Amino acid sequence: MEAGSLLCPIPLNPKRLFSRRLTSFPRFIRASSNLEGGYRGPKPKKEWVADWVSKNDDTARSLPIYVGGASLLAVLLNRTVSGIAPVADASSSQSRADLLTLGLAVTNILAGLVWLSIRPKSISVVNPQGLECQRTNSHLPDFVVSELLWVWESLSVVTCCRSLVIVYDGRCIFQIGFAAASSGNDGEAVAVDANKLMQGSLYQGVIKSGSQSYLANLSLYPGKSELPFLPSNTQAVILQPIGYKGIAVIGGDTIRGFTSSDQAWITLIGEKLDATLTKVDNPTLAVQDRG
Amino acid sequence: MSTSLSLNPLIPLKFQLKIHQNSCLSHLGISRFCSRRRRSSTILRARFEDSQRTTDQQQLNLSVLRFTLGIPGLDESYLPRWIGYAFGALLLLNHFVGSNSTPTPAQLRSEALGLSLAGFSIALPYLGKFLKGATSLDQTTLPEGAEQIFVMSQNISDTLKEDLAWGTYILLRNTNTTSMLISIQDALCVRGYWNTPEEVSKAHALDWFEKLIQRIGLSDLKDTLYFPQREDSELWEMLPKGTCSLLIQPVLQAPKQSSSQTEKTEGFVLLASTTSYAYSNKDRAWIGAVANKFRDSRR
Repeated sequence: MEAGSLLCPIPLNPKRLFSRRLTSFPRFIRASSNLEGGYRGPKPKKEWVADWVSKNDDTARSLPIYVGGASLLAVLLNRTVSGIAPVADASSSQSRADLLTLGLAVTNILAGLVWLSIRPKSISVVNPQGLECQRTNSHLPDFVVSELLWVWESLSVVTCCRSLVIVYDGRCIFQIGFAAASSGNDGEAVAVDANKLMQGSLYQGVIKSGSQSYLANLSLYPGKSELPFLPSNTQAVILQPIGYKGIAVIGGDTIRGFTSSDQAWITLIGEKLDATLTKVDNPTLAVQDRG
Repeated sequence: MSTSLSLNPLIPLKFQLKIHQNSCLSHLGISRFCSRRRRSSTILRARFEDSQRTTDQQQLNLSVLRFTLGIPGLDESYLPRWIGYAFGALLLLNHFVGSNSTPTPAQLRSEALGLSLAGFSIALPYLGKFLKGATSLDQTTLPEGAEQIFVMSQNISDTLKEDLAWGTYILLRNTNTTSMLISIQDALCVRGYWNTPEEVSKAHALDWFEKLIQRIGLSDLKDTLYFPQREDSELWEMLPKGTCSLLIQPVLQAPKQSSSQTEKTEGFVLLASTTSYAYSNKDRAWIGAVANKFRDSRR
């Protein structure tokens, strides 16, 4: 077991590099600071409409309603001002034009209502309660470790993932991110009991089906008790099988925080990890802390 | 040249992922859109009640109701555009053919209002594309006159070859990409639909791409470039016809402890697609993550 081990902080550098690039991701890109010998190609032009709509999402959603409503009133006003009775018959040319305009106004109002109704619900982030740790099996070769670190970096920056545990070939080879604090006074993160996990129904189900399992709201699932190493307030979990011999447990901080595109990417990353880990012959011994 | 969909089975260009994620949405099947005043009020009422109920439910699909004609395969979000065209045409018809006398000012005002509304309705689907949670329903088409190729530099390590093959596969499969190119230090991998000129054989295809890259200076790129719509420039000439969006993601070296201001680029990843606005923010984040896999790669 790990004796006297302290918690290792996550190396922040890759995350900072990534998050800087991630936040500076507008649709237009500012000019490169490169001069001679550098890039000589075109730069993208600024997209005004796209930027305005993305920034003012709520206003843009209700815009058709206001436009439609205003046009409705304008048509009635037009009729009263010009002294024609507001009667809806298709007899005169004026009435027909008015009816068509009203039809368009109603279309706009309905389109605005549809946009309002399909507004995605904003769900708040719940910060995981626990300790940060990083534990890697010491017998893994370097290329595997760098790949595992790359997977963690990608997941933690792009998705709402805050904890990652990889169990392969009967033992836990990687645990990183937030983990539940153990109840003792030593202030350590809970270690992953790989055997217990592998006998549980979650693991068995995932390995048998061979496909990913997405627990979008972890508090609703009784299987939560099989994942004691995750922080108790983990909101969403993805269980990705790695071939036939392993599983990746990915914990997130938002209910339904993993989108379907995230799920697709995680499936493909699981296959890559399987290909990489099968190249490793016989990882032995338990997980040890890595500095 | 025919653009048949019989692709190399090694590269299942999976377009289905991006298409019609509305299949999990609950539809309120309104049989016919024949809205005039009376009908529209009923529709309004039903919609408000439903949206109240479903915000309380916990479900994976976010959208509540979609205004649907119940015809499979028809994209209802473009309905305002069609209505705009139809009613605008009817308005013009009414103006020229409808009356025997000259139109009154009142009618002209009404028609002007109607035509501007029609223009706004036509633009509505375009605006809707940029809202949060909008899914792109455009089908990715294959570029014309281009053939599928997969070439890679030979004098690189096996691990790098595997990584390049995997990286190109995953990007082609999971995004709307039809053509892509990865250049890392001296290694080059090209996959997807490109139209290399006739006189360039497979063996020299790599050299041709190298020359193009050097001409534009893509290897020195430091910032991510995203062109959501087609523009006329030299850069687009090397891409197959029909390409509408382009994303170039540089692969930067990880900053070391004593790093200077500028980071060195190790290469770039170039992705092209035949749909415009093909790469959402999430897509670009993932593409950046995959590009980082090639950081610090050794020969």
